[in-house]
Amino acid sequence: MRHPFRFLVDLTVGLAIACLVGFGSAALVLDRDRPFGAVTAGAWSAWPASGSPDADPYTKAMQARSGEVPLGAGEGLIFIAEADDAGTPLSGRCSYRIVGQTPAARLWTLTAYDAEGHLMDNAVRRTSFHSREILREADGRFVIAIGPEAEPGNWLPVATGGSFRLLLRLYDTPVGSGSDVRDLVMPRIERGECR
Amino acid sequence: MMRTLVYALGGLLLGGIIHVVVVLLVPDFANRDAWTSMGRFGTDGDFHLLPMSEPGTEPLPYLDPDMAFAVCRFSLAERPIRIHAALPAEFWSAAIYDRRGRSVYSLNDRSAGEGGFDMVLATSVQMARMRENPVDALETTIVIELPVDRGFVLLRSFVADPTLLPETEAALAAARCSDPVPATRTSAAAPTAAGGGGN
Repeated sequence: MRHPFRFLVDLTVGLAIACLVGFGSAALVLDRDRPFGAVTAGAWSAWPASGSPDADPYTKAMQARSGEVPLGAGEGLIFIAEADDAGTPLSGRCSYRIVGQTPAARLWTLTAYDAEGHLMDNAVRRTSFHSREILREADGRFVIAIGPEAEPGNWLPVATGGSFRLLLRLYDTPVGSGSDVRDLVMPRIERGECR
Repeated sequence: MMRTLVYALGGLLLGGIIHVVVVLLVPDFANRDAWTSMGRFGTDGDFHLLPMSEPGTEPLPYLDPDMAFAVCRFSLAERPIRIHAALPAEFWSAAIYDRRGRSVYSLNDRSAGEGGFDMVLATSVQMARMRENPVDALETTIVIELPVDRGFVLLRSFVADPTLLPETEAALAAARCSDPVPATRTSAAAPTAAGGGGN
């Protein structure tokens, strides 16, 4: 042994790497999106198993940290969009149009949250749209304008300089329990002008 | 140098183990999880109406602002409990969660039938006891055997328009969470048995 502290130095290096890798990777993963079990359709993703006892350990850890209560399988399914159809993250500086229709559900609601997961205050006191109040085209399709500037028709205001996310909650829906998640018809998210 | 590399490699492996342990232990050490947050709405064993989600005042993260909610933390440690509610003819749903916030049972107005629901929650031991000594409740209500002895129920009811809110909130606030299971058939004739549920 050439150096008397060689062993201690090696041990310290080893333990430092262990802590850095172990805690660092856990923190990194838990701060991101749930890694497993996503069902993706267009810009929208859902995690059908997230509320069940067989959810993966990462999902369980994330839910314990955030304190959110998942929807039960018999209640419905939540789709989340954080980017538009082109894959660009949703920004509070841009306007968007949600166009099309939703999968079959007895009721749905569309809500906008800021990057921290909070509702955004606005002058018209609207944080969501639900399927009963939405103005539709003659063929049943709908257009929802999303953005900072007021627009005629269905306008869902967004008041943040940063990014935001959209939650489409489908209540009492066959989606998720059934098999045909691949050919889901989800509304498109088209980006308009940005400031 | 070679030795340091071996220690670094060992560190990486240990790091992997730490990663797994941390992820598995997070739920046990979380202090902002759903169960803990619900404790501040009131006593266990009763439904508590949550304020509607508005910007700046969200009682729990990611609750639908178009729904009215009531929560109840329950315990099956002493006896099975009966949960029942009369709810408006709109979309509503109820989900039972374990201590960790996983949904172990859920139903909605379609699957439960018109007007509300009436169910009995029991552990498997209590369930076996009830089967031996059947109670009336087993025939008229949904009986759910839970793998846990405490958890919470989240009741949600759609509010299509703010004018419907008072009616919905009154119905949710009147929901009962920890009623005793109605008496056995032999004693059902006793006058006290009918008064228990108030319906």
